[in-house]
Formats: sequence, C-alpha cells, structure tokens
Amino acid sequence: MTETTAPAISTSGLSAEPDPTPARRTWAAFRRNPLGIASAVTLVLLILVAICAPLIAPFPEGYGTDTSQPPSAAHWFGTDAIGQDVFAQVVWGTRVSMMVGVSASALAIVIGLLVGVAAAYFRRLDTPLGILVDLSLSLPVLPLMILVAALAGPSVRTLVVVIALFSWPEVARVVRSQALAIVPLPYISAARVVGGSALWIIRKHLLPGVIPVVGVSVVLTTSRAVLSEAGLAFLGLGDPNSWSWGTILHKAQQSGALASAWWTTLFPSLAILVLVVAATLLSVAYNDARNHRR
Amino acid sequence: MRLKFIGVRLLRGLLTLWFAVTVTFFLVRLLPGDPVLAVADPNMTEELRAKLLADFGLDRPLFVQYLDYLRQLFQGNLGMSFRQSLPVTEVLLERLPWTLILTMSSMVVTVIVGIPLGVLAATRAKGWIDRLIQVGGITAQSLFVPSVGIFLLYTFGVLLGWFPIGGAIDPDATGFAATLSMLHYLVLPCLSLVLVQLGSYVLTMRSTLMEALGDDYVALAKAKGVKPRAVVWKHAVRNALLPTTTIAGLQLGMLFGGAVLTETIYAYPGIGRAIYEAVGQMDFPVLQGAFVLLAAAVVVANLLTDIAYGFLDPRVRTA
Repeated sequence: MTETTAPAISTSGLSAEPDPTPARRTWAAFRRNPLGIASAVTLVLLILVAICAPLIAPFPEGYGTDTSQPPSAAHWFGTDAIGQDVFAQVVWGTRVSMMVGVSASALAIVIGLLVGVAAAYFRRLDTPLGILVDLSLSLPVLPLMILVAALAGPSVRTLVVVIALFSWPEVARVVRSQALAIVPLPYISAARVVGGSALWIIRKHLLPGVIPVVGVSVVLTTSRAVLSEAGLAFLGLGDPNSWSWGTILHKAQQSGALASAWWTTLFPSLAILVLVVAATLLSVAYNDARNHRR
Repeated sequence: MRLKFIGVRLLRGLLTLWFAVTVTFFLVRLLPGDPVLAVADPNMTEELRAKLLADFGLDRPLFVQYLDYLRQLFQGNLGMSFRQSLPVTEVLLERLPWTLILTMSSMVVTVIVGIPLGVLAATRAKGWIDRLIQVGGITAQSLFVPSVGIFLLYTFGVLLGWFPIGGAIDPDATGFAATLSMLHYLVLPCLSLVLVQLGSYVLTMRSTLMEALGDDYVALAKAKGVKPRAVVWKHAVRNALLPTTTIAGLQLGMLFGGAVLTETIYAYPGIGRAIYEAVGQMDFPVLQGAFVLLAAAVVVANLLTDIAYGFLDPRVRTA
C-alpha cells in the first residue's frame, strides 16, 4: 500500500523479524475482515466493467423496436421508451460515472492535499485558508455546482472540474488536522535545523505522514463524486454524448418512465448504491485495520 | 454576553453570504458562457447585441458591475429572468415557502425518529439491534436522493396508490381540506429527504451517547440509584444532543441540495423545481438567484441552530 521511508526490512529470514511495517500490519488486519475484502472485490469488479464495457455490450444509441419492455432473456434489464437496452446503458454508464468520479476525486485530493499541508505548515496561511474552507463547506454545494456546470456547458470535462472544485475543502480539512499533529514533532524541527527548505520538508517528511489518512478519503471522495455526477446528470447537466448512471435516470424522468417502467430506474439506482456502499464499507474496514494496535 | 454571542454568529453569517454572492458573481462573469448569448440569437445584428449588453449592464467595467450587483442585492433585486419576463426575486419568492416546508418538515421528522434510534443503538451496544441500526445507518448515508425518491414514488404512489405523485396541493381543495391535502402531498417528498438524512443523525447520536454513558456523572447517577431509564434520558441524552445539533447545522447545505433533487422528481413547486426548469431553459439569472437564496436560507438556519445550541449549552455562549 503506502511506501514508508524506513529502510526495507530484510525478509530473508536470517534474523527474527522485528515489528512489521505499518502498511503490512494494516494489510494483515484488513485481510481478516470479510466485509472489507468483499467491498474491495466489488469495486474491482465495477472497475473491470468500466474498462471492458465495449466487450460486454454495444454502445446504446438510436431507436430500437422493442420499446418499454420489462426485463427478459433478450434484455436483462429491459428496454427504455425508445427501445434501447437498459443493461447496455448501465454498463456504459459505469464507465463515465467511474471515470468522472475517479478523475474529480483525484483532482480534489491534489488540491485538498496542497491546501491542507500549506495551512498546517505555514502558520500565516492557516487562518485565511481555514476561513475559506469553512465558508465553502457551509454553502449549499449542489445549487452552486448546477450554476457553474450550466454556465460552462455540459461535458465530461466540465463535470470533473466542477465536482473537484467543490469537493476539495473536505479533503483539506482532514489533511490539515492530520498534518497539524505531525508539524510539531521533533523530526520536523530537526529537518528545519539542518537547513531543509520548506518544500523539501513537506515532500520528504510531512507528506508521507499524511498520505495514509488520504488513503481513506480517496475512496470516500470518489464515491461522493459519483453521487455528485449522478445528481448533476439527473438534472440534465450530464455529458449529452455519453451515458452515465445519472443520465439514464434523467432520460427516464423526461420520458415519464418513473411512474411506469420501474426497470429503467431500478438498475442504475442499484449500481449507484452498490458502488457507494462498497466504498463506504471499504473505508470503514481500512480505518479499522489502521487503528488496530496490538 | 448573550448579545455578543449572537453578534459574532451574525457577523459570520453575513461573511458567508457575502462570500456566496461574490463567488457567484465572478463565476458567472468569468466563465466562457457569454451571458448575452443566452438571451440573444447568434445571428442578431451587432447593434442589437450592444443594446442588449447595455440593457443588462454588461458593457461596464467588471468592478462597477460588481458594486452595482451588491447594491441591487441589498434592495432585494436579483435581476431579470431571461426566459420569463419577470424579476428573479418574484419568480423565486413565490417558490420559497414550499422548499422551506419540505426541508424543515423533513428535518423535524429526522430528529424525532433519529434520536430515539440512536439511543436504542447506544443502550444496546454490540447487540443485534445495534448492529442492524449501524448497518442501516451506513446504508442510509450511501443513498442517492433521486433513487430513494423514485423508489418511494413508484411503490407508494403508483403501485399502492396511497399518495399523490406530483405537485404540492390539490388545487380544488379549500380551508381545512387544503391543509390536509398539502400534508398528503408532502409525505413522499418529505420521507425521501428523511431517509437520506437519518443515517448521520443516528450514527452521531449513537457514538456520542456511548461516550456520554461512560462518563463519571453517569456512574454517579447510577450509584445514587437513579433508574436506568432516567440515567439515559435525563442525564446522558441531554449532553449527547449537543454534537447532534452540530450535525443539523453541517447537513443544511446537503439538505437543500437534496430538496432540489426531490422537488424535481415530485414536480414539487419549490426552488429546486425552479432550478430544474431553469437548467432546461439555460436561464442563468434564475440559477444564480436560486443559489443566493438557498445560501441565505442555509445561513439563517445555521444562525438559528447556533442560537439553539447556545440555549442548550451555556458554555458556548461565552465562546
């Protein structure tokens, strides 16, 4: 998982092994948690579906002859009002939903990491950055994202940027509190005394201590980003040229299928639920494993 | 002392509001979407375009526009809707009561249901009820608002036919029947928002109460021979309620986001439905105004929560 800066422990078996690295201890504890493993497997499966979408189902487009059919052997998840296969929509939707979720959260984490570490290390920045984070967190984010996405014009890129732009404050807050616990430690002062530049200290000594905490927020931020994308797409701000889980729900809403064809909304909803529950359980399991001190 | 406490909170609220207003102003002006393009035909003449720019005040320097915008906001002017030739304030204020009814009722129901559930879980910690409530809480936190809304709409509105599935009131009802019909229409949208909020309330109540139950004053109360029920409800719950109040404040932004999605599903005539319609018509002034109004609602609600917190916990008043 995470690399530590400690010298690698020899595994040749010559000496009685001292304490295993924290990463290894976390993994050992995590492996014993069936719920955590099941969640991880589920997420890997979803990623595989996203990558292999073209192999699983043809891209849903055009009009089909079987309109609004309930699930059957030919159409596992049924068909929508214009005869497209809902299963194909969900499979291709996995691709865009996951891509937007992962990219947006990666961007949000980079920004949050920079802001959080800067706030903790440079005392003078702490107050203004703290106020900025507090203010951003207290605003109703969805209406703000709607405004920006509508202005910028709906596309996958817009969605990624908009979601990242309003998701980093939470990461920044977590990172800051963790970094604040590390900054006063003697080894940071020692690094300062030997004349290390701020950038070097942050990169070499502060970041390695913060990264494990970010590990949890990667999964959670991604699942929240998927929810944000689904919300925006549901309101009609999804990328018009591709399918996402939210887009399927939006089309169902527009065609009036909400009240008649349950299959057009149930399956994309289940996909979202499975992803978010798996992500949440995985982060709970990871946290438990990390806090497990013998 | 009390006045100073409220003053500080008020100042913070105003700062938040100013931040929201400023952010939206500059986002709208600096993003690629030319606001004039939204009202104008792309092949209109240059003069007409210039006239439109002047009409909307878009030809002046950015900072002047900003000051002008702030001045107008103070007068309650949010600009004109691009699509409906009406002031945005008029369009939205008519919708605001519905959104407030929906959000506030769902918050009250969430508290009434969530706190006892949290107490139940904490007092039976590690038992099967506790496990069930915990798993339920985590799942509830993972719910996607439209999915919940659609599920309830289909099950209780379409299949069982117990509740109406669109609108907020029966237009023909009058007097007491109108109130009843309003409540009838409110059930499903409100329940959708309750389900998505419940998780964090229950889980927070559970963990803070479990902590409180381990405190010395609880042990003392038990040693004095206070009945177990009274120890929990009269002593521990009172203290555990405080962090739960904070959750209410933190969740407000999310609650209003959820209302936007819920209103869209149930064609509920609040601000959220107005946002959905404005998205379809690319009516930017309405979108901007809706955000400013919802931000104001969050600020006011946060202020009320803070003051309530001050009443519940005398220690906070001096902070």
